[in-house]
Amino acid sequence: MKRILREPLLHFFLLGAAIFSAYRLVSKRSSDEPVRIVISAGQVAVMAESFAGTWRRPPTRAEIEGLIRDRVQEEVYCREAMALGLDKDDTIIRRRLRQKMEFLTDDIAALAEPTDDELSAYLKAHADAFRVQRQFTFSHVYLNPERRGENLGRDTEQLLAQLQQSGAQVDFSERGDPFLLEHKFQSVLASEAAKLFGEKFAAKLGELSPGQWNGPVESGYGVHLVWVSERTEGRVPALAEVRDTVRREWANTRRLESNERFYHELLKRYVVTIERPKPMEKRIADAKIK
Amino acid sequence: MAAIILKTKLLLLALAVASLALPAFAQEINTDTGIIDATKVFPAKPPYSPYAARNSPARPFFGDTHLHTSLSFDAGAAGCRLGPKEAYRFAKGEQVTASSGQPVKLSRPLDFLVVADHSDNMGFFTDFLAGKPELLADPTGRKWYDMIQSGKPDQAQQAALEIVFGFSQGKFPKALIYAPGTPGFRSTWREIVKSADEANEPGRFTAFIGYEWTSLVAGNNLHRNVIYRDDGSKASLVEPYTATPPQGSPNPRDLWKWMAAYEEKTGGELLAIAHNGNLGNGTMFPIIESFTGKRVDREYVVAREKWERLYEATQMKGDGETHPFLSPNDEFANFEKWDKGNLDLSEKKKLEMLEFEYVRSAYKNGLKLEKEFGVNPYKFGLVGSTDAHTGLATADEDNYFGKVSSSEPSPKRAEHPFMTNPKLGLKIMGWETSASGYAAVWANENTRESIFDAMKRKEIYATTGPRMVVRFFGGFDFEVADANNRMPAKIGYTKGVPMGGDLRDAPQGKALTFLVAALKDPMGANLDRYQIVKGWLDAKGDTHEKVYDVAWSGDRKAGADGKLPSVGNTVDVPNATWSNTIGAPELIAVWKDPDFDPSLRAFYYGRVIEIPTPRWTAYDAKYFGIKMPKEVQMTVTERAYTSAIWYTPAQ
Repeated sequence: MKRILREPLLHFFLLGAAIFSAYRLVSKRSSDEPVRIVISAGQVAVMAESFAGTWRRPPTRAEIEGLIRDRVQEEVYCREAMALGLDKDDTIIRRRLRQKMEFLTDDIAALAEPTDDELSAYLKAHADAFRVQRQFTFSHVYLNPERRGENLGRDTEQLLAQLQQSGAQVDFSERGDPFLLEHKFQSVLASEAAKLFGEKFAAKLGELSPGQWNGPVESGYGVHLVWVSERTEGRVPALAEVRDTVRREWANTRRLESNERFYHELLKRYVVTIERPKPMEKRIADAKIK
Repeated sequence: MAAIILKTKLLLLALAVASLALPAFAQEINTDTGIIDATKVFPAKPPYSPYAARNSPARPFFGDTHLHTSLSFDAGAAGCRLGPKEAYRFAKGEQVTASSGQPVKLSRPLDFLVVADHSDNMGFFTDFLAGKPELLADPTGRKWYDMIQSGKPDQAQQAALEIVFGFSQGKFPKALIYAPGTPGFRSTWREIVKSADEANEPGRFTAFIGYEWTSLVAGNNLHRNVIYRDDGSKASLVEPYTATPPQGSPNPRDLWKWMAAYEEKTGGELLAIAHNGNLGNGTMFPIIESFTGKRVDREYVVAREKWERLYEATQMKGDGETHPFLSPNDEFANFEKWDKGNLDLSEKKKLEMLEFEYVRSAYKNGLKLEKEFGVNPYKFGLVGSTDAHTGLATADEDNYFGKVSSSEPSPKRAEHPFMTNPKLGLKIMGWETSASGYAAVWANENTRESIFDAMKRKEIYATTGPRMVVRFFGGFDFEVADANNRMPAKIGYTKGVPMGGDLRDAPQGKALTFLVAALKDPMGANLDRYQIVKGWLDAKGDTHEKVYDVAWSGDRKAGADGKLPSVGNTVDVPNATWSNTIGAPELIAVWKDPDFDPSLRAFYYGRVIEIPTPRWTAYDAKYFGIKMPKEVQMTVTERAYTSAIWYTPAQ
């Protein structure tokens, strides 16, 4: 007896019988008392509008009748299909439903417009992500170690003394060696300076006294004499300056949080049991041993 | 703003016109807006301040025009889990966690990035990995899925190779292909466009929209990256072109038609960059088209010149400048060479294929075709890029995260085969992949528009990774003293044309002159030499090439054979270090072509060679404490290639 119970063929027959009786139930109901399908005037208007949206003209009478006929057919098929349970275990439908739930939570998160206090708190908590970098405006004279050779140290000292004597007004455009990048940089971010001259040089820029010739400052290229005319310290910006960016980041964080919370709330209503097939457990174990 | 751009364009135009050295320069020009007095619009005397009214690019922007993320089906198959958002974050200098779980960060941020995922099957892998039932319903799909889920890296890599191979041989299961018009494809494209638009920060970082059109005909690589000047408002109107019929086609002519249709429909702008001619087995730069077996025609050369403004000359799957067989007298030609077969090694390489695979020979054949058709289809600028399939644009030897995610740093990656075909006895080892390269663009500002326009005018160069600054100007009037000017670029733009430019009709008695300059990577190695590669078409219609050393470090003298002695080698392989005690930080020179013949078509491009440094394999050996097999290359001479300047004689 037990063996018969486990026989797949029996399961198949039982299942077939169940589907058949379900179908009879459905078809009986539909034959006894017809179910109403109403296509409202509003729905017809929407159909006409979306037709016009695609074709840039209103539909003709025949066309709108065709659309209505199609909608009725769609409605009948949908209802019958759902009565038969054809929507169950359909990945496309399931995925679409899941997506709709996610849209729902996305929308809820998007609905709440943050207050300035909330944004300020967010900015404070994630200050580094919004920090405005240090900026420099500077000029420099380059000395090429390969051209200068042994005289590099002496030349640097002499040139620095000359520049210091003449101060800000000196025309330094013919001093030092040719250099492929510019000699004057306007409001350059510290990260840009690091890209162009290397980290060490960029860090040193922050230590130089503004308004005088400094040096020698080393870079990846050789030696520079540097005049920093302006230095703007890095800072955490006021909310007003970066409100849009903070708002975007805040909304994104909120969205992720609320999705997660929503899911966990729903999950509480379920007891989840996972029955893993044997071979897979073995596979996982193998992978761990490796 | 528009007025400023217009002014810039006018000025560039004026510079270009001036550099043509017309015998009599018209001062008054009759136009639709009446008579323009050129002397007033462009005053002859420059302003006192040398920095005022500067309209030429002052610094190059470095980036990668060719990066794959998990949305590329083969990258996903090989374990890539980083998408476009992470790829842009990484390029901007943020630390991220690589697909292998290791933390990774660039030595310094890049200035721009193109995420160029394969359009064929775009987004397939992310859905595949999520176990989308439609995909698992196919028996082959199921098999690959199980291999990847097995948790065994070997199996996963095998699946990846089968996926790539199946696709390249046209044997990919039809049921699995993600094609334009399907919801999966459309939403993937939207995600790509959105990620780029979000990451784009004009002035700071440029995130281009792009994709790779992956044409493989029987395993022969004809890939092109398509780059958009536009933002999502235009790019999302049309779905990318694929190489799979019926929606797509593997023939580049059809891609060009699609590009034209996109521009017409949206008013946007596109350009295409081909790559890896070395894996195309003689089909990349054809004279005889592989699709028809016929000689290229006028339609082909015109369209190719119009759409394919650039070529990717160096990347992880080998260098594409030239080959020792094609350039036997070039001692630097044997560099990161991949010449065993086509992309999937389904066909062995034959020597006669090489001529149609490399930049230099394509430049040469371009001169021939130009003589025939009046248009040179192979007049492209040069970029380097990574083609990494990891979401990580790493091209530094000491920070190499591999070609695919399964070859991110590990003790075994060098000795793991990258591609094999036992039937033909062909094998490419993991150590043969190259930590290369980047594109350097001379653009006025770091924006999509400015960089794209610089790409189109080919003011761009390729590097194998180091961020060296390279200038290359050609003209008829450069003098030796110009090399001592403190602002070489200013002289360059005034007296000549930059890389990617054209020179015509040499004035009577004048030879071509070049102002060349290179500055080392501020964090990298010194420079060995700056060379000019010249190619020309002689009166009989035969092509020739010659490499000239034009600037070098130290006081080396050329030997009796005309060759400059080697710069030396300071690499300590076991410790993976080197020292800048040899070489020069900067090289500047003016060079006059001693063999110039004003009646012959020619091209010239610059090649800058670094001193030898440790290759990524040396860093691997040191870090993992392993011994590499004897044949593994442990040092590298990094380099940069400029786009050419072309000389065309009077007709």
